Amino acid sequence: MQTPPSPPDAITVSNLRKTYRIREGGSWRGKTRDIVALDGISFSVPKGQIAGFIGPNGAGKSTAIKILSGILRPTSGEVQVNGLVPWTNRIAHVARIGVVFGQRTQLWWDLSVAEGLALLRDIYGVEPERFARNRARLADALDLGGIMDQSVRQLSLGQRMRAEIAASLIHDPDILILDEPTIGLDAPSKLAVRAFVHELCRDRGTTVLLTTHDMHDIEALAERVIVIGHGRILADSPFEDLRTTTLSERILELDFHDTPPELTLPAGASETAREPRSLTITFDPRQIPAPALVAHVGHLPGLDDLRISRPSIDEIITRFYADHAA
Amino acid sequence: MSLRPYLTAFGLQWKIGLRYRIAVVAGLVAQMWFGAVTLMAYASVYHAAPDVQAPLSLRQAMTYTWIQQSLFTLLPLGCLPAIGDAARTGAIVYDLLRPVDMWNWWLSASLARLLGNAVPRAVLLACVAGPLAMLVGLGAWSLAGPASLISATLALVSIALGALLSATIVMWWNILTARTLSPLGSYAVGTPLAVLLSGMLLPLPLYPDWIRPFLLAQPFAGITDIPIRIYLGTPIPGGVATGLGLQVFWLAALTLLGRLWMRQTVNRLEVQGA
Repeated sequence: MQTPPSPPDAITVSNLRKTYRIREGGSWRGKTRDIVALDGISFSVPKGQIAGFIGPNGAGKSTAIKILSGILRPTSGEVQVNGLVPWTNRIAHVARIGVVFGQRTQLWWDLSVAEGLALLRDIYGVEPERFARNRARLADALDLGGIMDQSVRQLSLGQRMRAEIAASLIHDPDILILDEPTIGLDAPSKLAVRAFVHELCRDRGTTVLLTTHDMHDIEALAERVIVIGHGRILADSPFEDLRTTTLSERILELDFHDTPPELTLPAGASETAREPRSLTITFDPRQIPAPALVAHVGHLPGLDDLRISRPSIDEIITRFYADHAA
Repeated sequence: MSLRPYLTAFGLQWKIGLRYRIAVVAGLVAQMWFGAVTLMAYASVYHAAPDVQAPLSLRQAMTYTWIQQSLFTLLPLGCLPAIGDAARTGAIVYDLLRPVDMWNWWLSASLARLLGNAVPRAVLLACVAGPLAMLVGLGAWSLAGPASLISATLALVSIALGALLSATIVMWWNILTARTLSPLGSYAVGTPLAVLLSGMLLPLPLYPDWIRPFLLAQPFAGITDIPIRIYLGTPIPGGVATGLGLQVFWLAALTLLGRLWMRQTVNRLEVQGA
């Protein structure tokens, strides 16, 4: 068999559309209506990149993820993953990807983690030496040593998610698809998952496609973020670019030991909140750089303290969705 | 294509079936009880009407009942529990993500689950109702031996076909479960059909003359009824070859149609989303 020339991109998607037909009124006589989940999206992900896929609920993220995994057929459009069309070469395609759905489990409740991994070895036909190597590596990186012999139903959510990620990687997939991998996890588990994904990408060149509602996942991991809303791509850029174009403003908070004085502010800055002992000023650093503004307010009478902050990543994305009516 | 994934699925469900040892003992007690009650009912009916030429002798009816009871868990009563769970939780999408032929994958698991449940029970019950009953002087109520060595051999072939046929019917319940995303429908339909049509409730040879050909020709007869008839050496219209032929026919037909139904179901899942 001749192997096809490997394309430079791990994933290419062009003009992908998916409409669902739903029945209205609940009865089988009801009228049907088409709902557009994906309205012609195009993007590509080069090998070894971590791409974040975000959007509000119902935006079409899950639909896109399912199509890329090979378990959903699009209405039209072209997709190549590792040079294969997922829904026409299902078996060959799924052998080369790993998938984690954060809200579902792929391990067997009745079995221990070790038994589950051994089953996956047989399902994917992983050779014994490669399996032993991968198992040791994943157990080490995901800290599974203590839970290998516990049955899956006894694991905490954080432990289970680490085991799930190991399960999705036991056959060395070139592409890892993570659908909300940190949902419900506590802070240390989230950090562990993020650190692991980061290393996986750096050390093994695995391409990662990540969907999440936790913007800190995106900030920590994704070199690039694809924002989807109403079935369309609203933005596709590094996260910093999204910040600059969406909500570049900064916030200056001033604390006084008495009632704050009235003040005139330079262009680009405005007072947004006044309290008995404090003032909040919002400013655009492109119009008035932070040092200049600080110099402007620095010698106000009664000033005790001042802080400059950026809007949180959640605020940025909320503003972005609002701007795009997503 | 490697066989390993399918052997693995088989091994897993076989182990899960064997894991419930208390269920085996509880099931054994229940089946002994039902068997004994049924036997007493037959004894009184047969003794009340000694002149009637029944298609089965009392001794044969008793043996039929014991084998039927010992193979109760071989019947396709509903979907594979693991598939029912996966359908409810949505984990069934992972089955689509495995590089395997889904029919063979689910079929190996279903067959293993049936055998893992049925084999220990069948062996135990056969020992208790057979040699043990004879030893304690209940020989008249016991499980009788096969009609001949040839009957025994053919019955073994037939029971193997029966197990495969049952697993194939379980596949239909599995597909129903995948379509409705709930295991309940498969049990609601499967249990009464399997209990009634397999001859568990009343041996199929004891039904009225006019309905017997239909009962023999339907697929559930191939699970336990045909193997038991071969074991007992009671006549099957058309002979043993017809019995085995019916089993093979239903196996082929249900596999062919089931695979089509499965492909259509997977397509639907792929179109509408799981």
